[in-house]
Amino acid sequence: MALGFAGLNFEKILADNQSLVFSLALRFLRDREGAEELAQEVFLQLYEKLRKIESPAHATWWLRRAISHRCIDEARKRRLRPRIGLEAVPEPLAQTRDADPLLSRRLRKLVEKLPDNARMVVLLRYQEDLDPMEIAEMLNMPISTVKSLLHRSLAVLRGKLEKQEIYRKQVCR
Amino acid sequence: MSFEDDLRKALRHEPAPPDFAAKVLARTSRTPTYRRAAVLALAAALALAAIIPAAVHRYRRHQRALEAKDQLITALSITKVQLQQMKEKIRRNTRSKL
Repeated sequence: MALGFAGLNFEKILADNQSLVFSLALRFLRDREGAEELAQEVFLQLYEKLRKIESPAHATWWLRRAISHRCIDEARKRRLRPRIGLEAVPEPLAQTRDADPLLSRRLRKLVEKLPDNARMVVLLRYQEDLDPMEIAEMLNMPISTVKSLLHRSLAVLRGKLEKQEIYRKQVCR
Repeated sequence: MSFEDDLRKALRHEPAPPDFAAKVLARTSRTPTYRRAAVLALAAALALAAIIPAAVHRYRRHQRALEAKDQLITALSITKVQLQQMKEKIRRNTRSKL
């Protein structure tokens, strides 16, 4: 069992963060197999650096940052050598407590179509619940860019959803 | 419910595949960090152990060749001087006989 700084347990970190890392990769890459591979690589990277990790929160921060950057790099590579996207494989069942499954599915599909930077910013904001300052720090972006990307992405998502009239129907119910 | 809440719900964490952790742990145990570092250190030590004596041997051989070259040049210059002296003696003897 690998222990890091202050006796951190790698298996515990893996168990606590696997869903976070895998979800970010999956939603960003839109490819289950590729997301799993990338998520595994990020955990292996963490394993190599475990001695430098100071706390479970530091591990989560490091993993979030590493997977965000690896996803953006991977998306760039894929533009050079395209792979089959998530559209080609059946969508896995998401946790849908209280949420309308149809609306959630539509929203996820719309998020998937956002450009790379905007998609990552939206995922970090609404999936990881980071504030714009944290996102700016994580992605090495000016905070004004993060805010602008968020603002524009929300407008695009809302506009497209309204166009599909799915959201309106939900609200009217 | 606001649009942003809907977005948060839609983007809830997806569970990782059931065998995800097992796969990661299997990959970590295949090449533990300390073993990889030890293998690299050993390889570097072996490479140095092979390279250093070969380089020293090569350097010594080169030095010996330089010394031999110097000795040869010295010997040749001595021979040249002696030959010139002999030549001079012969010329002088020939003149005196005539």
